Amino acid sequence: MKKKLRDFIFQELVFVAEPNQFGDDDDLLEAGLDSMGIMRLIMYIENEFGVTLPDTEIEPDNVQSFNALECWILRHKNS
Amino acid sequence: MPLLTSFDLQCRNAPDRPALIEGERRLSYREVMLNSERLAAHLASRIEPGARIALALDRGIDAVIAILSVLRCGACYIPLDIKNPARRLRFIVDDAVVHCIIGRGNPPEWLDTPALWLDIDRLPESAQSYYPPAATDPEALAAILYTSGSTGTPKGVALSHRALHNFADWAARTFKLNADDRIASLAPFHFDLSVFDLFSSLSAGASINFVPAGLTLSPSRLTAWLREQRITVFYTVPSLLGFIVLKGGLTEQPLPDLTTLLFAGEVFPTPQLKKLCELLPDTDFYNLYGPTETNVCCYWPVDRARLDVDQAIPIGHPACASELKIDAETSELWVKSVNNLSGYWRQGRLTEALEDGGYYRTGDKVSLNERGEYCYHGRLDRMLKCSGYRVEPAEIEALILQCPEVANCAVVGIDDSASGQRPAAALVLHPGGQLNGIVKTVKQALPAYMQPCRFSVMDALPLLDNGKTDYQTLQRQLERH
Repeated sequence: MKKKLRDFIFQELVFVAEPNQFGDDDDLLEAGLDSMGIMRLIMYIENEFGVTLPDTEIEPDNVQSFNALECWILRHKNS
Repeated sequence: MPLLTSFDLQCRNAPDRPALIEGERRLSYREVMLNSERLAAHLASRIEPGARIALALDRGIDAVIAILSVLRCGACYIPLDIKNPARRLRFIVDDAVVHCIIGRGNPPEWLDTPALWLDIDRLPESAQSYYPPAATDPEALAAILYTSGSTGTPKGVALSHRALHNFADWAARTFKLNADDRIASLAPFHFDLSVFDLFSSLSAGASINFVPAGLTLSPSRLTAWLREQRITVFYTVPSLLGFIVLKGGLTEQPLPDLTTLLFAGEVFPTPQLKKLCELLPDTDFYNLYGPTETNVCCYWPVDRARLDVDQAIPIGHPACASELKIDAETSELWVKSVNNLSGYWRQGRLTEALEDGGYYRTGDKVSLNERGEYCYHGRLDRMLKCSGYRVEPAEIEALILQCPEVANCAVVGIDDSASGQRPAAALVLHPGGQLNGIVKTVKQALPAYMQPCRFSVMDALPLLDNGKTDYQTLQRQLERH
């Protein structure tokens, strides 16, 4: 899942010179993920992983890093 | 008419009404007046009318107080985006030749002349707490808004009191603002949408309610805030409204107080607009059009019965008594309006920006439909629209070409379903050149919305037969990438 997220974010939303150096806890918002990026990311996640992310949970804490994203998605995938 | 005339009138007529609301902090019209007079008294001891004063403050009560006090002294305000990279901030401060920068705390590191800094929290004790408003010539500059420039650096759009007042007054009348309105302020003050939030609101005696920072990342919290604050008027960009349509939770909880929703800055895709109209059945929608140089010169009250998902909505009819004409050869829209800029501010002076006859050439291609409404058909040049901001690819190219590793470079816009367009860069590097340093330079120099979402290294840029860069082919290549 993380690899898919990394590929999508780095290819479509945020450009970093060396994606391999970008840690799973590094700050995606600081790297340039903005509100329009978050919107596309959520559309991608819902499509790709077959989950519905509740509107009320779309907030910075849940999209801050790859680890946060994975946690968030898994919480809904298993429920 | 000077910009603050209507505001002053509101302060006299209804001094106790709420003017500015930011979280728990609320200021009445009287308090706003007293605070801005105190700051104006201090500023007047430092600067002359006609001076340029930059603001390094976040959107909020203190920034509004600062703007009002700058105008009260007969000076002109230059809002800075303090999240911008140091290099860009330094450029703007140098280019504008500012006389003072109002901020908070100690002078920032990027500022070469700390003596210019004025900490709003530590104003020196002043004997004077009242400052009579300077007699302001309506043609005097009120604001300089810096936008992306095609020559490689930001350019300052210089706007007079008369221009800002003309728009603010038109909008307050057209959208029937009154003292009971609660108007959300979300646009940063360097963005021209803020002219409405600030001056139309205060001239109508309404309250300005500042949207807390960060809510744009969380649409359902934004709509909850709009509901709690009982916001009646909201002016923003379609890309944010698109996010609200998708994830704003409006199906469960509508916005019963919102009477007027204004949008501008980019094309609102009709399917999303239609959906939003369904979610907000009692709200009036307006499509506003106009570059920073003319502010709103055309508008369309959205006619719900005419929303066809396969067709873009029109930009409508002339606004603010603007005279519009279409160039017969190129279909370019020309605008003559009291709103028009006084000129571009470059290196400390005003330079000509209008054609003979006072027309501003927008660079936008338009046509008239069978109902006599103007319709927008994109740009005649390469300018991009990214989340409502305009971006000149040439400014990004000029920056990248300064990197010694780069032999050639071109920037194009690639279509993005969420934010309209995103810049993408194609580069040809000198032998041994590495991308890392270039990306670092770009990130340190450009605000986030201008940063390319892709950097693609090529052996050569595609060329047309005449030897010029083939941007269309390049765009297709980068979109496939």
